[in-house]
Amino acid sequence: MTDQVLIVGGGPAGLAAAHALASIGRKVTLVEKTELLGGAPIHSGYAKLVPSGEWASDAIGGMVKRVAQNRLIEVKLNTTVKKFAGAPGDFRATLSDGSEARAGATLLTTGFTHFDSLNKPEWGFGTFPDVVTTTQVEQMISSKQGVRCPSDGRKPKRVAILLCVGSRDRQIGREWCSKICCSVSANLAMEIREELPDCHVYVYYMDIRTFGLLETKFYWRSQEEFKVKYIKARIAEVTSNGQQLIVKGEDTLVKRPITIPFDMVVHAIGMDPNVDNMLLSSIFDVKLEPHGFIDRANTYGVMGATSRPGVFVAGAATGPETIDDSIAQGHAAAMSALGALNLAMAAE
Amino acid sequence: MPIHEKHLIRPENLIEHEKLVIDGVDVSGHWSTFIAPRVVTDYNEALQDEIAALPGGENIHRCWQCGSCTNACTVNAVNPDFNPRYWIYLIRMGMESELLRDKDIIWQCVSCNKCTYACPRDVVPEGVMKATAHWLELKGHTKPSPSTVFDEVFSDQVIETGLMEESRTVRGFFAGTGQALMQDWLLAMVRAMLVHLPVKWLMHLGLTTVFQPRTKNWSRARDAIKDYVAEQQAEQRKALGLSAQEH
Repeated sequence: MTDQVLIVGGGPAGLAAAHALASIGRKVTLVEKTELLGGAPIHSGYAKLVPSGEWASDAIGGMVKRVAQNRLIEVKLNTTVKKFAGAPGDFRATLSDGSEARAGATLLTTGFTHFDSLNKPEWGFGTFPDVVTTTQVEQMISSKQGVRCPSDGRKPKRVAILLCVGSRDRQIGREWCSKICCSVSANLAMEIREELPDCHVYVYYMDIRTFGLLETKFYWRSQEEFKVKYIKARIAEVTSNGQQLIVKGEDTLVKRPITIPFDMVVHAIGMDPNVDNMLLSSIFDVKLEPHGFIDRANTYGVMGATSRPGVFVAGAATGPETIDDSIAQGHAAAMSALGALNLAMAAE
Repeated sequence: MPIHEKHLIRPENLIEHEKLVIDGVDVSGHWSTFIAPRVVTDYNEALQDEIAALPGGENIHRCWQCGSCTNACTVNAVNPDFNPRYWIYLIRMGMESELLRDKDIIWQCVSCNKCTYACPRDVVPEGVMKATAHWLELKGHTKPSPSTVFDEVFSDQVIETGLMEESRTVRGFFAGTGQALMQDWLLAMVRAMLVHLPVKWLMHLGLTTVFQPRTKNWSRARDAIKDYVAEQQAEQRKALGLSAQEH
């Protein structure tokens, strides 16, 4: 028996869970497959986070630092779990470095994978250099280089943001809403307008889903203070006339086809299940839900339960998730893990 | 090619040639009808800013196209082509040619302000309609609407004299809108009044018509108001990219 906890994945959910467990004196092994902690916000170089407006490097960087400095948390970078066996109170994980990690409970905070825009070739990503993703625009901002057209470094005068790239699209087997792209896009649109006041930003949408309080802070504010324009249209294709990108579609509100030139087109890419989810599912013997995310066995009774007792899940591993909710779920799953540990200990 | 359902196509988009030869083949008559593309090929980004620069148009950029204004609209209930939601959209997106198609009905807004109270985003659609009608006039797309003529006759008089004299307003309005002064209803009203022989009133009317009474010491106020109006008009014309003076 051991009361240690194994956490797989060092993004916001995993960092939050590790910190929560260590803060009440529990030993944690945090396994991270890449060479650095922080998850998507750090790896993908996010700029200012939604909804706090804090820089990702500060906000998530602070969480990373807190975990890295905690003596109760053993961080194993560049490491994956190869084998996983046992029962609550006594799990054994064989790691890629050959070592074995013992754990009374396990948390999967394995996150998501950004949608690869190459899978929507009609929208020009990979064909035209000035078609970029929201992640790339985040990097342009976080690197302080500013929003520029990759083809020649010029400041764009007109930018189109296409929502639901890799979301709500049966053609490519992705029927889910990725939840955060609307707010992130509104946020980026405001960032662009702030940096380049002469640049007009158009958002092409099917619906705007800036849920809850994000409505005023992002959707309304982007229109009222930053004069971002929203057009209800799903774009048919992005081509080029040699100088500019040509965006074709139907403006549904005027029932007329549009063929509009743009300097830059931004794909608001969605959240796919982690590409490793099939592997994770077989190693940890946890079920995936129909979209390919890790299935939650229980909605109301136990937070973050998977189909396997003693193994819990939190954050975007369970489906498209915001950073703050991932953190909250990390805490909640840590609590569930403690409960499972106590039960196993009492049965001993 | 022969097009049978021509009523489905906007007349200005139907292109017919009396005589046409393509690649040596005579396609005159029935076979020479073409449809112009209706593709929107660019946005006029200045349009929204121009409307927003006119009184009433300031909040147009807030619109999210819910349709509350059109649903609430008094005029829309009578004329389904009167659609504030649609025009706000055209202005926001800069589809000027589409907007101009409706130039002769936009001024029909009766300013009941039902839209103003229905709008969840405080766009003030009534103000936008006013600003749009104003824009159409300033740009020369429409003649001054009857209500503009009335406003000008009324305010010019007040600014000039510090007073409002009804008979002068009515005369000016009829003249400005090309209407006969001897309107049936006016004659009926006057006839009905004459039955009571209002001698004093008629003398007053005659005197004011001849002498045009003024508010005492009005000239300073008049000059200040005139300056202010000129300043506002110059600003608006500048925002619309027009020359400083009215032609």
